[in-house]
Amino acid sequence: MLGTRHASAHRPRVGVVKFASCDGCQLTILDLEDQLLAITEKFDIVEFAEATSNRSQGPFDVLFVEGSISTPEQAHEIVQLRRQATMLVTIGACATAGGIQALRNLADHDAFNRAVYPQPQLIKSLATSTPVSEHVAVDAELYGCPISGSQMLELLTALSIGRRPQLPDEAVCALCKRLGNPCILVATGEPCLGPVTRTGCGALCPSFGRGCYGCFGPKEAANSASLAAWFGTLGQSDEQVAREFAKFNVNAPAFRAVVEAKR
Amino acid sequence: MQNETVNTPDAELRDRLAGTWLTHELDQSARAELARIGRLVRVPAGSILMREGEVNDVMAIVLEGRVSLRMRVPERGQVSIVTIEVGDVVGWSAMVPPYRATSTAVALVDTELAQFDGPQLRKAIATNTDLAGQLYPVLLQTVARRLEGTRLQLLDLFSQRWVEPW
Amino acid sequence: MVSAVEPKTYFLPRQDLAKLLDRLHDGGRQVIGPTIRDGAVMLDPIERVDQLPVGWGIDNAPGKARLVEQHGSRVFDQPPGPSSWKRWTYPPRLTAFAWTDAAETDAAPAPRRPKPVPAKMAPQAFLGVRACEIAALRVQDKVLLEGPVVDRDYAARRRDNLIVAVECAVAGGTCFCTSMGTGPEVRGDFDLALSELDDGFVVRVGTDAGRAALEGLTLPAATSDQTAAAAASVARVRAQMGEPLPMDGLPDRLMAAAESPRWAKIAERCLACTNCTLVCPTCFCTSISQRSDLDGDGASAERTWDSCFTLDFARVAGGNFRTRVEDRYRQWLTHKFGTWWPQFGSSGCVGCGRCIAWCPVGIDVREELLAVAPPVAPAADPPPIAPVAPMPSIVPSALTLPTPTAEGPRPMPWRTVEVLDRRRETRDVITLSLGTDDPGLLAGRPGQFVMAALPAVAAPPISVSRFHPDGLELTIRAAGPATAAIVNLERGDTVALRGPLGRGWPVELAEGRDVMVITGGIGLAPLRPLLDHILARRDRIAHIHLAYGARTPGDRLYVDELDRLAASGVIDVAQTVDRAGPEWLGRVGVVTQVIDRIMCSCDRTIAFVCGPERMMRATVDVLHERGIPDERIWVTLERHMDCGVGLCGHCQLGRYFVCKDGPVFSLAELGPAFAVEGL
Repeated sequence: MLGTRHASAHRPRVGVVKFASCDGCQLTILDLEDQLLAITEKFDIVEFAEATSNRSQGPFDVLFVEGSISTPEQAHEIVQLRRQATMLVTIGACATAGGIQALRNLADHDAFNRAVYPQPQLIKSLATSTPVSEHVAVDAELYGCPISGSQMLELLTALSIGRRPQLPDEAVCALCKRLGNPCILVATGEPCLGPVTRTGCGALCPSFGRGCYGCFGPKEAANSASLAAWFGTLGQSDEQVAREFAKFNVNAPAFRAVVEAKR
Repeated sequence: MQNETVNTPDAELRDRLAGTWLTHELDQSARAELARIGRLVRVPAGSILMREGEVNDVMAIVLEGRVSLRMRVPERGQVSIVTIEVGDVVGWSAMVPPYRATSTAVALVDTELAQFDGPQLRKAIATNTDLAGQLYPVLLQTVARRLEGTRLQLLDLFSQRWVEPW
Repeated sequence: MVSAVEPKTYFLPRQDLAKLLDRLHDGGRQVIGPTIRDGAVMLDPIERVDQLPVGWGIDNAPGKARLVEQHGSRVFDQPPGPSSWKRWTYPPRLTAFAWTDAAETDAAPAPRRPKPVPAKMAPQAFLGVRACEIAALRVQDKVLLEGPVVDRDYAARRRDNLIVAVECAVAGGTCFCTSMGTGPEVRGDFDLALSELDDGFVVRVGTDAGRAALEGLTLPAATSDQTAAAAASVARVRAQMGEPLPMDGLPDRLMAAAESPRWAKIAERCLACTNCTLVCPTCFCTSISQRSDLDGDGASAERTWDSCFTLDFARVAGGNFRTRVEDRYRQWLTHKFGTWWPQFGSSGCVGCGRCIAWCPVGIDVREELLAVAPPVAPAADPPPIAPVAPMPSIVPSALTLPTPTAEGPRPMPWRTVEVLDRRRETRDVITLSLGTDDPGLLAGRPGQFVMAALPAVAAPPISVSRFHPDGLELTIRAAGPATAAIVNLERGDTVALRGPLGRGWPVELAEGRDVMVITGGIGLAPLRPLLDHILARRDRIAHIHLAYGARTPGDRLYVDELDRLAASGVIDVAQTVDRAGPEWLGRVGVVTQVIDRIMCSCDRTIAFVCGPERMMRATVDVLHERGIPDERIWVTLERHMDCGVGLCGHCQLGRYFVCKDGPVFSLAELGPAFAVEGL
């Protein structure tokens, strides 16, 4: 563990890098406006292109990686970066599951290429968009599209103090119930992925009366088959059910299984 | 075995066999037959009773002392995998083809053993079905207990790998 | 709160309900009542009558609860929604305690101490409490107010709680209070009880506080027609609910169904989403999490609603006792309908039906109960409406649990103690010597444990490995960040302890007997105080055998002490390791095979065992072969503990809370609980 209870002269060297992604997770870190100064006091941010012109190729005590692996170059680069990092933390649905761009994993990538580009042979991208964990060992993951600022803060605090980060792997339902949100599925019959999705967003959409999109990916023991079957009894067609699960975490195995079964 | 050999009449060995848990339930004639084949042997600490991988002609019962079974792990040297305590068998491999020692047996302290010549014992069992009928079950039990213990060791219940990063 | 007062019955005209509501607000009271929000009946603060669900009904079925407009002026014709009164008596989030900050002075920083957070709560009135919900409040009162430790926040909230009950006039589609003997009639434990008629409410007074709330309203007495109409209304509800479920002997049947294949079938549908437990008005499991800023200042411990359906619920350092969803579902159902009885003397379920309606995939506990624990013989006539016969009490052991003091149940405060010494036992095991003069901590028994808290880090349970007249020792393995932080404490540092907790080893039973102590790895730590105790009374014990297994010779604890003990001949010590290099002349092999060779008079032997559960299991098998009966085999168990006093629910094993009923148990007490997978 990095943190000790006693003041340390050495600030951990932190990097934030990006692969195929929208950059929203990095922005979420910068959105921690009230804590940014304290964070920079505790951690030495040596690489974070969106935040500072200081650049570094490593070594890193902690390296945050946003984005999925989508090109041959990226597949090579992540391996190099892994060697430079003591601890590698993936952040966001792209890095942890492949992102929404992983929809191409279920389709014909080459056909898309040919349809869009006049000279498709110039485009070097992989047929699949895959999470970082399929390429290198990952020490920790922060889920979400984008990640939750407070979960990032909890992770940084845990590293700083030396405690287990409290990132519960429970359904969004647990938070809805604590907040006092009535259940959208039960009260309206509208689909909601909350029961199979990890909490982290603060149950944002259900708090505004809209079913969960599954941004934080499948929770542990996600029984998507059961929920998909229930959506069917609520009147959703197979195609509609598949679309429910084919969103930001489409490539996460528990969601992908439903999409492939219902297509 | 080279070291100090005690020439004893069969009677002394028969009596000793009456006392070990492996053989005390055998009937008189079985014990007498074993005593005829076997002999009492005393070895000093450090003696090697059999070597891993080599042909093993001797099955022994520990009467006093302790024998360590070790296997060679090239990166780690000799690793002790189990110690044979009083009453238990060293060298059951002498009874099972290909009659090769699966580990190296080293006496940790001065040790007294009842040793049985493998080929002779196998021949006796082949011809004396009564002896076979009594001896094989206890041999099977001994190997079964060894296996149970090995499985528990294999579970590595005290492993320190059970440390969470978080 | 509820005093014995002769009830009188009044009539409140419908248009005067607003006046009653005003009276309920008197004295700054917050009134909580039903209201329609986002398509469901929720329990929220109510200021005006038009916030109540006037003219609304709910169509309930498994997995479905749809609003139905009824175009009338009736107020309370809805079954319970996803919200329960638990939200207001046992809030979803609460700061359990906070820590002082590290002092920022040049002098040595003051030790950080836990400070309780005062429970401040405006008095509350609950308007619209149904019969099943009154039963639920009673059930939670039993758990949170009548155990060895009282939940102070709950006690404060319940102290000034005004209960205005409502007798149901419609039965919900998932209601089954008649099967659980909790309703629909409101029979007691209320301050006021309303029965809704078309033109108003029959009002029953239950207490002086209730009577006081009616002062100034000058209500007429209810006529006999009105009271008859109220009785008829609730009788219709009873009839609407149909035949009650056959509940005879359900707890026994459930506990006997631990290996039923039905659990796996339920798990095919169950999402482990926690909805059922969080809408349930009696579930009380919570977890403690640490809050702080980046520096560790502003540290507090927060208590939140948790559920036995989460993965982390049964996590311990190095594993998880209940990972399969079928095991989690079994835990919930058998606890709610079965083991709640020996724990608290009633069923945990009140038949409100929320878990059925609010399960996102409509799993129906009524159906599942009948499938997994079917009645032995079909009931010819409907059984009488009565609660299920209580279970026999726990097999009494030779010990008594610590009794509450004359001042009442102990509040279990945190005590700050100082690290006097730190000794390395093995590569990752440290023994800390802690100094204290707290008489409670010093009076601990062998086998008891403490919760050890560091601000903003964690508060894990740790066995006491030795008691001294002026302190105690904790032997800790750095198995994760919490224990690593404690293990890194140095002389002069402080840590907060709470305890001693749990039931310790039955040392009295060792007198006059042969004692076998069988342990492995760090399991020797909780047994060391037992050894201390019996060695101090050596003349009263016959033979003492210690069998100690470790991974390698370097992983043994208290090596010098053991060698001295072995050499002294006072006890017979047999050590063994799983593997060793050639320099080790001792035994290599599993500790169970050491037991085989111990000479003992097994009819007067008592065995104390501690180690990884699989090792204890193998040990118990060998002890059985030697003829030692279950009553004389004692083990100590480890489970996830957040509170250590039986309130957070995590450590449950069958009918027991490992923290307060154990952690020491005899095999006779545990029975099959020790052998069922994932229990």
